Amino acid sequence: MAKEKMFMAACKKKFKEEPTDMYTKYYCYGGWKQSKRKVEFVEAANKIAKARGIPMMNQDIGVPLGQRSWMPYQLSHTDMFVEPDDLHCVNNSAIQQAWDDIRRTILVGLDSPHQTIERRMGKEVTPETINEYLEAVNHTMPGGAVVQEHMAEINPALVYDSYVKVFSGNDELIDEIDKRFVIDINKLFSKEHAKQLKAAVGNTLMQAVRVPTIVGRIMDGATTSRHAAMQISMAFITTYKLAAGEAAIADFAYAAKHQSLNMGTMMPARRARGPNEPGGIPFGFMADMAQSDRVHPEDPGRAALESVALGAIVYDQIYLGGYMSGGVGFTQYASATYTDNILEDYTYYAIDYIKDKYGGFCKLDPNNYDEMMKLGDNVNSYALETYEKYPAAMETHFGGSQRATVAAASTGIAGSMATGVADCGLNLWYLSMLQRKERAGRLGFYGYDLQDQCGSANSFAYRSDEGLPMELRGPNYPNYAMNVGHLSGYTGIPKAAHAARGDAFTVNPFVRVAFADPSLVFDFANVTKEIGRGGLREFKPAGERTAIIKA
Amino acid sequence: MDPKQNLKKLRDVSMDDVVRLLGHRNPGEEYKSIHPPIEEGKEPNCPIRALVTPIDGAKRGDRIRYVQFTDSVYFAPISPYQRAWMYLSRYRGLDTGTLSGRQIIEMRERDLEVLAKEMIDNETFDPALTGIRGATVHGHACRLDEHGLMFDAWQRYVWDDKKKEVVYVKDQVALPLDRKISVGKPAKLDDLKKRTTIFRADGVDMRDDKEVTMYGLRIHKLRTLGGYQPYKVKGI
Repeated sequence: MAKEKMFMAACKKKFKEEPTDMYTKYYCYGGWKQSKRKVEFVEAANKIAKARGIPMMNQDIGVPLGQRSWMPYQLSHTDMFVEPDDLHCVNNSAIQQAWDDIRRTILVGLDSPHQTIERRMGKEVTPETINEYLEAVNHTMPGGAVVQEHMAEINPALVYDSYVKVFSGNDELIDEIDKRFVIDINKLFSKEHAKQLKAAVGNTLMQAVRVPTIVGRIMDGATTSRHAAMQISMAFITTYKLAAGEAAIADFAYAAKHQSLNMGTMMPARRARGPNEPGGIPFGFMADMAQSDRVHPEDPGRAALESVALGAIVYDQIYLGGYMSGGVGFTQYASATYTDNILEDYTYYAIDYIKDKYGGFCKLDPNNYDEMMKLGDNVNSYALETYEKYPAAMETHFGGSQRATVAAASTGIAGSMATGVADCGLNLWYLSMLQRKERAGRLGFYGYDLQDQCGSANSFAYRSDEGLPMELRGPNYPNYAMNVGHLSGYTGIPKAAHAARGDAFTVNPFVRVAFADPSLVFDFANVTKEIGRGGLREFKPAGERTAIIKA
Repeated sequence: MDPKQNLKKLRDVSMDDVVRLLGHRNPGEEYKSIHPPIEEGKEPNCPIRALVTPIDGAKRGDRIRYVQFTDSVYFAPISPYQRAWMYLSRYRGLDTGTLSGRQIIEMRERDLEVLAKEMIDNETFDPALTGIRGATVHGHACRLDEHGLMFDAWQRYVWDDKKKEVVYVKDQVALPLDRKISVGKPAKLDDLKKRTTIFRADGVDMRDDKEVTMYGLRIHKLRTLGGYQPYKVKGI
């Protein structure tokens, strides 16, 4: 018996008809009133308009909403259903927190400042002094003062999410550190992954610094390194009894600002963003932030899909949908990749096919290009014909760009998993795009003619200005800067390759460990679940101003 | 795609009704100009200008206006991308853009009207599965309604149950028309399944068309090698 499609539950919840029915009724569902959220919005907008004396959101303006049956959306691999409004990044506190947690993170090494203290100042650095420093920096980072006696401080209730922890590949060193300040690689990762990570991190003692969410929101991602540098320097001064004015102090600030690891690189001036903003985050970093394979190492499919979801909310919804475009148009495009288990179905089909045909992951020789194309042809055809056989799935992804992306993402993930090489996955993404145009006679949107119809030629290129390994490409890679709806799938492709290989990380072991931290507000191991909690208003974000607003 | 192939004319919507559907001007109203007739203007000397004969609307200085068609995935006679290929092989002086459900043509107004009439009258248009939509275009991938019509949130067209045909009650940007415009009876699904240019699993599957499949893969492979290891491209 054929396996039931994974999207059946969602389709049955959305529509009365069978998922295979081609006909339905329209214009008879009561318009926007069928949506609980829209009713809530109308009531709120009417109240606001009355109170402020200026018209507000008005459902009588524009196209009449709700001419079709109003579809709820199931967060993939959960049993949570939300309305589309709940997935807009402005309405969803979990989506915001995912981005807040990334933007407020900076990784700052302690090796260089310790050398300054020991060699330049002649003072001793011991596990005891490190613990003392960590206590101090967990006072200064949220906004505590240490040097001057008449000093403004930050209200701790506003910044409870701010702290500093450390990690290292050196077990002996970590054993000496107060456990409250440690991200414990041995506890958080499987034995094999811990071994790989510790070897990659080495003896370095790395700080995972979380500046307060509210700081990132008031300023921007470029502030993260500055806030961290200032408060780290203060912690060194107080711990090691240094003179606030001595020249060597500049070394700490220098190290914190320039020998540190931002989550996102600087972008060109025309994009007008500093470092640690989403446009500068490489896909490989985002894949390392997604932690599914840490807690479910047996399921590389989930790892890829959760990375897709993280990419969708941060890159597609917040960055391209907000920073670069603005407005409300990008939510449904992006959320197609992490709702209703449609991409899930295609991905697990690909996994079954790979296991069946090649005997497991990473067994297809990347040099066997003709076989790789056969794989791409098979998975892509499955995805596209599923839409054709199940009109409910087709209507769920009623935008062609949604279908193009989901089909290409599954095909790309298949290429990555079969070969263990992310660039092979990317190449099959473009095969999918070419085939879809031939098959359906359609693009996604107008711009697909550029980005997707010419991508085959750059998919394996490494030379500067022509290409990059997929792990290091990002939203600012030349052809991807306007690719809404693509960046989600692009994030899943490198993740799929490395999860299939059993690698502990995709591109950066430090980023990987930093986001395994259970003290983060957003749970990066359960991305869709967190988005669902945000949609259902169960998620508790940081950075709220309640403590300084009269009740 | 072959411009020598005449497209079958299936209906005759009057030019005045086409003008009403487009909604850019009223029937009989003068065309608005955005520049003086070319002959009266003082254009700089340009060899390209000497080579290209302007289309009528360009000669007279018409505005550039648009018509946009939406094609259902359920066996519409033609798909958006093929529209682009078809227009460019048959007409001059137009600009097209293809998305997933829709295809826009921009052109000088009087030339556009002629093209729009041809496209509404000929076999590439089906009253139920092709929409004339300037705005709010989605619906191409939605299931069909109980009369077999493609979804349109604005309900620009409706089913006339007495005549068993489709009538437009709004123009392409959904402004109400002062009278209904019939675009005729939809084709039968069996007929459309034979005529459509869209590959589908429940129609003609692309994988059953070995030539198309082979060329698709070949194009991808050659582009890949061309950008990566061009020295490996041999004997094509």
